[in-house]
Amino acid sequence: MIPDRIIEQGTLTTDGPRTAVEVRLPWYRALPGSCISGAKLSVDGVAAPEESLRWRMNGREFRFDELVDETGEWWFPVDSAVLSGDLPLAPGDADHEVRVDLTLYIPYIIIGDDETLHIEEHDTKTMKAVAA
Amino acid sequence: MTALRQAQGSGTPIQGVTLYSFTRAFHGHEYDLEALIRKVAADGYGPGLEVIGFSSFRGFPAIEDSFAGWFRDLVDEVGLVTTSLAVNADIGIHRDRLLNQDELIEYMRRQIVAAAKLGFPIARVQISITPDSMEQLAPIAEEHGVTLALEVHADQYASHPRILDLRDRYEKVGSPYLGFTMDWGATVSGFAPSLLEAYRRRGASDELLAKVVDLWDRYYAEGPPADQAEHGKRFGSFIGLAAQNGRPDLGIDFGINGTGLFGPARVDDWLEIMPWIRHVHGKFFGIDEHGEEPSVPVRDLIRLLVDNGYSGAISSEYEGWHWNHWQSPFEIVAAEQAVQRSAALNAGSRMITDAAQARSILNAHLAQPVRG
Repeated sequence: MIPDRIIEQGTLTTDGPRTAVEVRLPWYRALPGSCISGAKLSVDGVAAPEESLRWRMNGREFRFDELVDETGEWWFPVDSAVLSGDLPLAPGDADHEVRVDLTLYIPYIIIGDDETLHIEEHDTKTMKAVAA
Repeated sequence: MTALRQAQGSGTPIQGVTLYSFTRAFHGHEYDLEALIRKVAADGYGPGLEVIGFSSFRGFPAIEDSFAGWFRDLVDEVGLVTTSLAVNADIGIHRDRLLNQDELIEYMRRQIVAAAKLGFPIARVQISITPDSMEQLAPIAEEHGVTLALEVHADQYASHPRILDLRDRYEKVGSPYLGFTMDWGATVSGFAPSLLEAYRRRGASDELLAKVVDLWDRYYAEGPPADQAEHGKRFGSFIGLAAQNGRPDLGIDFGINGTGLFGPARVDDWLEIMPWIRHVHGKFFGIDEHGEEPSVPVRDLIRLLVDNGYSGAISSEYEGWHWNHWQSPFEIVAAEQAVQRSAALNAGSRMITDAAQARSILNAHLAQPVRG
Protein backbone atom coordinates (compact mmCIF):
# COMPACT_ATOMS: atom_id res chain seq x y z
CA MET A 1 0.00 0.00 0.00
CA ILE A 2 2.80 2.45 0.91
CA PRO A 3 5.92 0.36 0.20
CA ASP A 4 7.91 3.33 -1.08
CA ARG A 5 8.07 4.65 2.49
CA ILE A 6 9.32 1.49 4.27
CA ILE A 7 12.97 2.56 4.52
CA GLU A 8 13.59 5.97 6.07
CA GLN A 9 16.18 7.74 3.93
CA GLY A 10 19.45 8.51 5.72
CA THR A 11 18.93 6.27 8.75
CA LEU A 12 21.49 3.55 8.04
CA THR A 13 23.74 3.19 11.09
CA THR A 14 26.52 0.79 11.89
CA ASP A 15 28.09 -0.21 15.19
CA GLY A 16 30.78 -2.87 14.99
CA PRO A 17 29.14 -6.07 13.82
CA ARG A 18 25.61 -4.57 13.86
CA THR A 19 23.79 -2.55 11.21
CA ALA A 20 20.41 -0.88 11.63
CA VAL A 21 17.88 1.08 9.59
CA GLU A 22 14.62 2.84 10.49
CA VAL A 23 11.51 1.44 8.87
CA ARG A 24 7.96 2.71 8.48
CA LEU A 25 4.71 0.80 8.33
CA PRO A 26 3.58 0.39 4.70
CA TRP A 27 -0.09 0.28 5.78
CA TYR A 28 -2.67 2.89 6.73
CA ARG A 29 -3.43 1.76 10.29
CA ALA A 30 -1.56 0.60 13.35
CA LEU A 31 -0.72 -3.08 13.72
CA PRO A 32 0.29 -4.92 16.89
CA GLY A 33 3.61 -6.77 17.17
CA SER A 34 1.79 -10.06 16.65
CA CYS A 35 1.01 -9.00 13.08
CA ILE A 36 4.65 -8.26 12.22
CA SER A 37 5.48 -11.70 10.98
CA GLY A 38 8.98 -11.27 9.65
CA ALA A 39 11.56 -9.06 8.04
CA LYS A 40 14.77 -9.30 6.04
CA LEU A 41 17.57 -6.78 5.97
CA SER A 42 20.28 -6.72 3.36
CA VAL A 43 22.95 -4.22 2.41
CA ASP A 44 24.70 -4.36 -0.96
CA GLY A 45 23.15 -7.75 -1.57
CA VAL A 46 24.36 -9.32 1.69
CA ALA A 47 21.56 -10.43 4.01
CA ALA A 48 21.82 -10.24 7.79
CA PRO A 49 21.43 -13.74 9.31
CA GLU A 50 17.81 -14.34 10.26
CA GLU A 51 18.58 -15.24 13.89
CA SER A 52 20.49 -11.97 14.34
CA LEU A 53 17.54 -9.74 13.38
CA ARG A 54 15.99 -7.54 16.06
CA TRP A 55 12.95 -5.27 15.96
CA ARG A 56 12.77 -2.17 18.18
CA MET A 57 9.56 -0.20 18.54
CA ASN A 58 8.13 2.01 21.29
CA GLY A 59 11.48 1.75 23.09
CA ARG A 60 11.43 -2.06 23.37
CA GLU A 61 13.53 -4.54 21.44
CA PHE A 62 12.18 -7.90 20.25
CA ARG A 63 13.36 -11.01 18.48
CA PHE A 64 10.82 -11.97 15.83
CA ASP A 65 9.74 -15.06 17.76
CA GLU A 66 8.94 -12.76 20.70
CA LEU A 67 6.61 -10.69 18.54
CA VAL A 68 4.32 -13.66 17.85
CA ASP A 69 2.32 -13.11 21.07
CA GLU A 70 2.85 -9.37 21.37
CA THR A 71 -0.54 -7.66 21.28
CA GLY A 72 0.39 -4.91 23.73
CA GLU A 73 2.87 -2.94 21.63
CA TRP A 74 1.54 -1.42 18.41
CA TRP A 75 3.33 -0.01 15.37
CA PHE A 76 1.67 3.36 14.72
CA PRO A 77 1.62 4.66 11.12
CA VAL A 78 3.75 7.76 11.76
CA ASP A 79 6.34 6.06 14.00
CA SER A 80 9.60 4.47 12.90
CA ALA A 81 10.69 1.04 14.09
CA VAL A 82 14.34 0.00 13.94
CA LEU A 83 15.38 -3.19 12.15
CA SER A 84 18.89 -4.37 12.96
CA GLY A 85 21.05 -7.40 12.29
CA ASP A 86 24.59 -8.76 12.14
CA LEU A 87 26.08 -7.05 9.11
CA PRO A 88 29.48 -5.41 9.56
CA LEU A 89 29.74 -2.22 7.56
CA ALA A 90 32.32 0.57 7.45
CA PRO A 91 30.91 4.05 8.00
CA GLY A 92 31.96 6.56 5.38
CA ASP A 93 31.13 8.21 2.11
CA ALA A 94 30.34 5.06 0.17
CA ASP A 95 26.75 4.58 -1.01
CA HIS A 96 25.03 1.39 0.10
CA GLU A 97 21.97 -0.25 -1.36
CA VAL A 98 19.66 -1.14 1.52
CA ARG A 99 16.80 -3.57 1.04
CA VAL A 100 14.08 -4.38 3.58
CA ASP A 101 11.40 -7.04 3.15
CA LEU A 102 8.42 -7.10 5.48
CA THR A 103 5.68 -9.66 6.01
CA LEU A 104 2.61 -8.33 7.81
CA TYR A 105 -0.65 -9.93 8.87
CA ILE A 106 -3.77 -7.81 8.32
CA PRO A 107 -5.84 -8.92 11.31
CA TYR A 108 -9.30 -7.84 10.13
CA ILE A 109 -9.14 -9.52 6.72
CA ILE A 110 -9.95 -13.21 7.06
CA ILE A 111 -9.57 -14.97 3.73
CA GLY A 112 -10.47 -18.52 4.67
CA ASP A 113 -11.09 -20.84 7.57
CA ASP A 114 -8.70 -19.64 10.29
CA GLU A 115 -6.58 -17.87 7.67
CA THR A 116 -5.66 -14.20 7.98
CA LEU A 117 -4.46 -12.17 4.99
CA HIS A 118 -0.75 -11.50 4.96
CA ILE A 119 1.05 -9.07 2.72
CA GLU A 120 4.68 -9.01 1.63
CA GLU A 121 6.19 -5.63 0.88
CA HIS A 122 9.73 -4.51 0.14
CA ASP A 123 11.69 -1.33 -0.43
CA THR A 124 15.20 -0.54 -1.65
CA LYS A 125 17.00 2.74 -1.07
CA THR A 126 20.57 3.96 -1.43
CA MET A 127 22.30 5.83 1.39
CA LYS A 128 25.52 6.26 3.31
CA ALA A 129 26.23 4.49 6.61
CA VAL A 130 26.78 6.53 9.76
CA ALA A 131 28.53 5.29 12.93
CA ALA A 132 25.93 4.71 15.65
CA MET B 1 -38.87 24.35 -4.62
CA THR B 2 -36.20 22.88 -2.40
CA ALA B 3 -38.38 23.33 0.65
CA LEU B 4 -41.30 21.70 -1.12
CA ARG B 5 -39.24 18.71 -2.13
CA GLN B 6 -37.88 18.40 1.38
CA ALA B 7 -41.39 18.42 2.68
CA GLN B 8 -42.10 15.56 0.32
CA GLY B 9 -39.12 13.66 1.67
CA SER B 10 -36.08 14.57 -0.43
CA GLY B 11 -32.84 14.02 1.40
CA THR B 12 -30.28 16.65 2.29
CA PRO B 13 -26.99 14.75 2.69
CA ILE B 14 -24.24 16.23 4.84
CA GLN B 15 -20.92 16.93 3.13
CA GLY B 16 -17.82 15.54 4.81
CA VAL B 17 -14.59 13.65 4.47
CA THR B 18 -12.70 10.77 6.01
CA LEU B 19 -9.10 11.45 6.96
CA TYR B 20 -8.31 8.18 5.14
CA SER B 21 -8.38 10.28 1.94
CA PHE B 22 -5.26 12.03 3.19
CA THR B 23 -3.39 8.92 4.38
CA ARG B 24 -0.17 9.71 2.48
CA ALA B 25 -0.05 13.28 3.83
CA PHE B 26 -0.46 12.07 7.44
CA HIS B 27 1.83 9.06 7.03
CA GLY B 28 4.46 11.28 5.35
CA HIS B 29 4.49 13.71 8.32
CA GLU B 30 3.14 16.57 6.19
CA TYR B 31 0.28 17.07 8.67
CA ASP B 32 -0.16 15.73 12.18
CA LEU B 33 -3.70 14.98 13.41
CA GLU B 34 -4.36 18.49 14.65
CA ALA B 35 -2.98 20.15 11.50
CA LEU B 36 -5.00 17.80 9.30
CA ILE B 37 -8.25 18.49 11.14
CA ARG B 38 -7.58 22.23 10.93
CA LYS B 39 -6.93 21.92 7.20
CA VAL B 40 -10.15 19.94 6.65
CA ALA B 41 -12.07 22.76 8.32
CA ALA B 42 -10.16 25.65 6.71
CA ASP B 43 -10.40 24.22 3.17
CA GLY B 44 -14.08 23.38 3.56
CA TYR B 45 -14.05 19.58 3.22
CA GLY B 46 -16.47 19.31 6.14
CA PRO B 47 -18.48 19.78 8.16
CA GLY B 48 -18.63 15.98 8.48
CA LEU B 49 -15.45 14.42 9.89
CA GLU B 50 -14.73 10.70 9.82
CA VAL B 51 -11.64 9.16 11.40
CA ILE B 52 -10.20 5.63 11.46
CA GLY B 53 -9.43 4.84 15.11
CA PHE B 54 -6.37 2.67 14.52
CA SER B 55 -4.96 5.16 11.97
CA SER B 56 -5.23 8.45 13.81
CA PHE B 57 -5.29 7.79 17.55
CA ARG B 58 -2.08 6.38 19.10
CA GLY B 59 -2.95 3.66 21.59
CA PHE B 60 -6.49 3.19 20.23
CA PRO B 61 -8.93 2.01 21.48
CA ALA B 62 -7.60 3.23 24.85
CA ILE B 63 -8.48 6.94 24.94
CA GLU B 64 -7.37 9.10 27.86
CA ASP B 65 -9.95 11.56 29.21
CA SER B 66 -7.57 14.44 28.54
CA PHE B 67 -7.10 13.36 24.93
CA ALA B 68 -10.84 13.01 24.35
CA GLY B 69 -11.35 16.50 25.77
CA TRP B 70 -8.63 17.93 23.55
CA PHE B 71 -10.09 16.25 20.47
CA ARG B 72 -13.67 17.35 21.12
CA ASP B 73 -12.59 20.92 21.85
CA LEU B 74 -10.58 21.01 18.62
CA VAL B 75 -13.48 19.70 16.53
CA ASP B 76 -15.81 22.29 18.12
CA GLU B 77 -13.33 25.11 17.72
CA VAL B 78 -12.84 24.55 13.99
CA GLY B 79 -16.55 24.00 13.34
CA LEU B 80 -16.59 20.36 12.26
CA VAL B 81 -19.07 17.61 13.18
CA THR B 82 -17.83 14.13 14.05
CA THR B 83 -19.79 11.58 12.03
CA SER B 84 -18.30 8.08 11.91
CA LEU B 85 -15.42 6.46 13.74
CA ALA B 86 -14.16 3.60 11.60
CA VAL B 87 -13.40 0.61 13.84
CA ASN B 88 -11.96 -2.80 13.03
CA ALA B 89 -12.76 -6.35 14.04
CA ASP B 90 -9.22 -7.72 14.35
CA ILE B 91 -10.36 -11.32 14.51
CA GLY B 92 -6.92 -12.51 13.35
CA ILE B 93 -4.90 -10.53 15.92
CA HIS B 94 -3.39 -13.74 17.37
CA ARG B 95 -1.10 -15.56 15.01
CA ASP B 96 -2.27 -19.05 15.91
CA ARG B 97 -6.06 -18.68 16.22
CA LEU B 98 -9.00 -16.40 15.59
CA LEU B 99 -10.69 -14.49 18.42
CA ASN B 100 -13.52 -16.42 20.02
CA GLN B 101 -16.96 -14.84 20.23
CA ASP B 102 -16.57 -13.41 23.75
CA GLU B 103 -13.19 -11.92 22.87
CA LEU B 104 -14.59 -10.38 19.70
CA ILE B 105 -17.52 -8.75 21.49
CA GLU B 106 -15.15 -7.32 24.10
CA TYR B 107 -12.78 -6.11 21.36
CA MET B 108 -15.68 -4.28 19.68
CA ARG B 109 -17.12 -2.99 22.97
CA ARG B 110 -13.91 -1.13 23.75
CA GLN B 111 -14.03 0.59 20.36
CA ILE B 112 -17.71 1.52 20.76
CA VAL B 113 -16.84 3.09 24.11
CA ALA B 114 -14.00 5.00 22.42
CA ALA B 115 -16.41 6.28 19.73
CA ALA B 116 -18.78 7.60 22.39
CA LYS B 117 -15.96 9.17 24.36
CA LEU B 118 -14.61 10.97 21.30
CA GLY B 119 -18.07 12.20 20.29
CA PHE B 120 -18.73 10.01 17.24
CA PRO B 121 -22.41 9.03 16.90
CA ILE B 122 -21.60 6.21 14.44
CA ALA B 123 -19.08 3.38 14.46
CA ARG B 124 -18.33 1.89 11.05
CA VAL B 125 -17.90 -1.87 11.36
CA GLN B 126 -16.89 -4.35 8.68
CA ILE B 127 -18.22 -7.45 6.97
CA SER B 128 -16.43 -9.90 9.26
CA ILE B 129 -19.06 -9.08 11.91
CA THR B 130 -21.77 -11.72 11.51
CA PRO B 131 -25.53 -11.26 12.03
CA ASP B 132 -25.17 -13.03 15.43
CA SER B 133 -22.43 -10.61 16.47
CA MET B 134 -24.42 -7.58 15.34
CA GLU B 135 -27.36 -8.80 17.41
CA GLN B 136 -25.09 -9.28 20.40
CA LEU B 137 -23.56 -5.82 19.94
CA ALA B 138 -26.91 -4.00 19.63
CA PRO B 139 -27.46 -3.47 23.39
CA ILE B 140 -23.85 -2.30 23.80
CA ALA B 141 -24.39 0.20 20.97
CA GLU B 142 -27.60 1.36 22.62
CA GLU B 143 -25.98 1.69 26.04
CA HIS B 144 -23.34 4.02 24.61
CA GLY B 145 -25.53 5.84 22.09
CA VAL B 146 -23.48 4.76 19.06
CA THR B 147 -25.07 3.50 15.84
CA LEU B 148 -23.23 0.53 14.28
CA ALA B 149 -23.09 0.94 10.50
CA LEU B 150 -21.68 -2.15 8.80
CA GLU B 151 -19.84 -1.23 5.62
CA VAL B 152 -21.10 -2.72 2.36
CA HIS B 153 -17.89 -2.75 0.34
CA ALA B 154 -16.78 -4.47 -2.87
CA ASP B 155 -16.57 -7.41 -3.44
CA GLN B 156 -19.90 -7.46 -1.60
CA TYR B 157 -22.90 -5.30 -2.63
CA ALA B 158 -26.35 -4.57 -1.25
CA SER B 159 -28.11 -7.63 -2.70
CA HIS B 160 -25.25 -10.00 -1.82
CA PRO B 161 -26.51 -12.92 0.29
CA ARG B 162 -24.33 -11.96 3.27
CA ILE B 163 -25.72 -8.42 3.26
CA LEU B 164 -29.31 -9.59 2.91
CA ASP B 165 -28.76 -11.94 5.87
CA LEU B 166 -27.64 -8.96 7.92
CA ARG B 167 -30.58 -6.84 6.75
CA ASP B 168 -33.03 -9.61 7.64
CA ARG B 169 -31.47 -9.90 11.09
CA TYR B 170 -31.70 -6.13 11.60
CA GLU B 171 -35.37 -6.35 10.78
CA LYS B 172 -35.86 -9.15 13.31
CA VAL B 173 -33.84 -7.44 16.08
CA GLY B 174 -35.55 -4.10 15.46
CA SER B 175 -32.80 -1.98 17.02
CA PRO B 176 -32.45 1.53 15.60
CA TYR B 177 -28.74 1.25 16.40
CA LEU B 178 -28.02 -1.27 13.65
CA GLY B 179 -27.52 -0.18 10.05
CA PHE B 180 -25.21 -0.04 7.07
CA THR B 181 -22.50 2.17 5.64
CA MET B 182 -22.94 2.40 1.86
CA ASP B 183 -19.56 2.34 0.12
CA TRP B 184 -19.75 3.60 -3.44
CA GLY B 185 -16.95 1.26 -4.46
CA ALA B 186 -19.57 -1.50 -4.71
CA THR B 187 -21.26 0.33 -7.60
CA VAL B 188 -18.45 1.45 -9.88
CA SER B 189 -19.01 1.92 -13.63
CA GLY B 190 -15.48 1.60 -15.01
CA PHE B 191 -11.86 0.70 -14.28
CA ALA B 192 -10.33 3.89 -12.85
CA PRO B 193 -8.30 5.77 -15.52
CA SER B 194 -5.84 7.07 -12.91
CA LEU B 195 -4.94 3.48 -12.02
CA LEU B 196 -4.41 2.69 -15.70
CA GLU B 197 -2.08 5.69 -15.82
CA ALA B 198 -0.19 4.35 -12.79
CA TYR B 199 0.24 0.96 -14.53
CA ARG B 200 1.42 2.79 -17.67
CA ARG B 201 4.05 4.50 -15.55
CA ARG B 202 5.11 1.05 -14.35
CA GLY B 203 5.71 0.05 -17.95
CA ALA B 204 2.45 -1.77 -18.76
CA SER B 205 1.64 -1.64 -22.47
CA ASP B 206 -1.47 0.03 -23.84
CA GLU B 207 -2.40 -3.34 -25.34
CA LEU B 208 -2.35 -5.06 -21.94
CA LEU B 209 -4.26 -2.22 -20.29
CA ALA B 210 -6.93 -2.39 -23.01
CA LYS B 211 -7.35 -6.08 -22.16
CA VAL B 212 -7.68 -5.27 -18.44
CA VAL B 213 -10.42 -2.76 -19.23
CA ASP B 214 -12.18 -5.26 -21.53
CA LEU B 215 -12.11 -7.93 -18.81
CA TRP B 216 -13.52 -5.55 -16.20
CA ASP B 217 -16.18 -4.34 -18.64
CA ARG B 218 -17.20 -7.95 -19.26
CA TYR B 219 -17.74 -8.46 -15.51
CA TYR B 220 -19.65 -5.19 -15.35
CA ALA B 221 -21.96 -6.46 -18.12
CA GLU B 222 -22.42 -9.74 -16.19
CA GLY B 223 -23.07 -7.91 -12.91
CA PRO B 224 -21.50 -8.50 -9.50
CA PRO B 225 -20.24 -11.98 -8.54
CA ALA B 226 -23.01 -14.19 -7.22
CA ASP B 227 -20.85 -15.71 -4.48
CA GLN B 228 -17.30 -16.00 -3.16
CA ALA B 229 -16.48 -18.79 -5.63
CA GLU B 230 -17.34 -16.56 -8.59
CA HIS B 231 -15.40 -13.72 -6.97
CA GLY B 232 -12.36 -16.00 -6.68
CA LYS B 233 -12.68 -16.98 -10.33
CA ARG B 234 -12.70 -13.36 -11.42
CA PHE B 235 -9.71 -12.58 -9.20
CA GLY B 236 -7.84 -15.47 -10.82
CA SER B 237 -8.70 -14.30 -14.32
CA PHE B 238 -6.97 -10.95 -13.73
CA ILE B 239 -3.87 -12.80 -12.52
CA GLY B 240 -4.01 -15.04 -15.60
CA LEU B 241 -4.34 -12.07 -17.94
CA ALA B 242 -1.23 -10.43 -16.49
CA ALA B 243 0.75 -13.67 -16.75
CA GLN B 244 -0.32 -14.34 -20.35
CA ASN B 245 0.81 -10.86 -21.32
CA GLY B 246 4.27 -10.97 -19.81
CA ARG B 247 3.54 -8.97 -16.64
CA PRO B 248 2.93 -11.56 -13.90
CA ASP B 249 4.20 -8.99 -11.37
CA LEU B 250 1.01 -6.95 -11.92
CA GLY B 251 -1.43 -9.86 -11.62
CA ILE B 252 -2.31 -9.66 -7.92
CA ASP B 253 -2.62 -5.89 -8.17
CA PHE B 254 -5.04 -6.22 -11.11
CA GLY B 255 -7.03 -8.78 -9.14
CA ILE B 256 -7.20 -6.84 -5.87
CA ASN B 257 -8.24 -3.60 -7.55
CA GLY B 258 -10.35 -5.11 -10.32
CA THR B 259 -12.50 -7.06 -7.87
CA GLY B 260 -12.00 -5.48 -4.43
CA LEU B 261 -12.07 -1.77 -5.28
CA PHE B 262 -14.17 -1.57 -8.43
CA GLY B 263 -17.39 -3.42 -7.62
CA PRO B 264 -19.66 -3.83 -10.68
CA ALA B 265 -23.15 -3.65 -9.11
CA ARG B 266 -25.73 -1.18 -10.43
CA VAL B 267 -26.65 1.96 -8.50
CA ASP B 268 -30.25 0.87 -7.84
CA ASP B 269 -28.96 -2.27 -6.10
CA TRP B 270 -28.69 -0.05 -3.00
CA LEU B 271 -32.51 0.03 -2.80
CA GLU B 272 -32.32 -3.42 -1.18
CA ILE B 273 -30.98 -1.87 2.02
CA MET B 274 -31.83 1.83 1.63
CA PRO B 275 -33.88 2.22 4.85
CA TRP B 276 -30.95 0.86 6.86
CA ILE B 277 -28.27 3.13 5.40
CA ARG B 278 -26.97 5.29 8.25
CA HIS B 279 -23.71 6.47 6.75
CA VAL B 280 -22.06 6.76 3.33
CA HIS B 281 -18.50 6.40 2.11
CA GLY B 282 -18.35 8.51 -1.03
CA LYS B 283 -15.62 6.26 -2.40
CA PHE B 284 -13.92 7.58 -5.52
CA PHE B 285 -10.64 7.31 -7.39
CA GLY B 286 -10.00 10.49 -9.37
CA ILE B 287 -11.32 13.51 -11.22
CA ASP B 288 -10.93 13.95 -14.98
CA GLU B 289 -10.24 17.01 -17.12
CA HIS B 290 -13.97 17.81 -17.17
CA GLY B 291 -14.14 17.93 -13.39
CA GLU B 292 -16.07 14.64 -13.20
CA GLU B 293 -15.34 11.28 -11.55
CA PRO B 294 -14.83 9.05 -14.60
CA SER B 295 -15.41 5.66 -12.98
CA VAL B 296 -17.84 6.23 -10.08
CA PRO B 297 -21.37 7.41 -10.96
CA VAL B 298 -21.34 10.11 -8.28
CA ARG B 299 -24.25 12.05 -9.78
CA ASP B 300 -26.50 8.99 -9.98
CA LEU B 301 -25.60 7.96 -6.43
CA ILE B 302 -26.37 11.40 -5.04
CA ARG B 303 -29.70 11.45 -6.89
CA LEU B 304 -30.54 8.03 -5.49
CA LEU B 305 -29.80 9.22 -1.95
CA VAL B 306 -31.71 12.49 -2.34
CA ASP B 307 -34.72 10.81 -3.95
CA ASN B 308 -34.84 8.27 -1.14
CA GLY B 309 -34.74 10.86 1.62
CA TYR B 310 -31.21 10.22 2.87
CA SER B 311 -30.14 12.98 5.28
CA GLY B 312 -27.07 11.44 6.82
CA ALA B 313 -23.42 12.15 6.18
CA ILE B 314 -21.36 11.36 3.09
CA SER B 315 -17.65 11.02 3.78
CA SER B 316 -15.70 11.66 0.60
CA GLU B 317 -13.32 8.71 0.56
CA TYR B 318 -10.54 9.21 -1.97
CA GLU B 319 -8.73 5.96 -2.61
CA GLY B 320 -6.69 6.96 -5.65
CA TRP B 321 -3.82 7.81 -3.27
CA HIS B 322 -2.84 4.13 -3.38
CA TRP B 323 -1.37 4.70 -6.83
CA ASN B 324 -1.66 8.40 -7.70
CA HIS B 325 1.50 9.99 -6.32
CA TRP B 326 1.48 12.82 -8.86
CA GLN B 327 -1.64 14.78 -7.81
CA SER B 328 -2.67 16.45 -4.55
CA PRO B 329 -5.39 14.52 -2.70
CA PHE B 330 -6.67 17.80 -1.30
CA GLU B 331 -7.46 19.25 -4.72
CA ILE B 332 -9.03 15.99 -5.86
CA VAL B 333 -11.31 15.80 -2.81
CA ALA B 334 -12.36 19.42 -3.31
CA ALA B 335 -13.25 18.66 -6.94
CA GLU B 336 -15.26 15.55 -6.04
CA GLN B 337 -17.24 17.44 -3.41
CA ALA B 338 -18.09 20.06 -6.05
CA VAL B 339 -19.59 17.23 -8.13
CA GLN B 340 -21.62 16.06 -5.12
CA ARG B 341 -22.99 19.55 -4.47
CA SER B 342 -23.86 20.06 -8.12
CA ALA B 343 -25.55 16.66 -8.28
CA ALA B 344 -27.63 17.40 -5.17
CA LEU B 345 -28.81 20.68 -6.71
CA ASN B 346 -29.67 18.90 -9.96
CA ALA B 347 -31.69 16.42 -7.93
CA GLY B 348 -33.70 19.28 -6.44
CA SER B 349 -31.99 19.36 -3.06
CA ARG B 350 -28.62 20.42 -1.67
CA MET B 351 -25.69 19.20 0.39
CA ILE B 352 -25.49 20.50 3.93
CA THR B 353 -22.26 22.43 4.49
CA ASP B 354 -23.15 24.36 7.65
CA ALA B 355 -22.01 22.72 10.89
CA ALA B 356 -25.03 23.63 13.03
CA GLN B 357 -27.45 22.39 10.37
CA ALA B 358 -25.36 19.27 9.90
CA ARG B 359 -25.49 18.52 13.64
CA SER B 360 -29.24 18.89 13.85
CA ILE B 361 -29.91 16.89 10.66
CA LEU B 362 -27.55 14.10 11.76
CA ASN B 363 -29.24 13.92 15.15
CA ALA B 364 -32.61 13.50 13.45
CA HIS B 365 -31.19 10.90 11.04
CA LEU B 366 -29.81 8.71 13.82
CA ALA B 367 -31.57 7.02 16.68
CA GLN B 368 -30.39 9.68 19.09
CA PRO B 369 -27.49 12.05 19.54
CA VAL B 370 -24.35 10.68 21.06
CA ARG B 371 -24.36 10.83 24.84
CA GLY B 372 -20.57 11.05 25.08
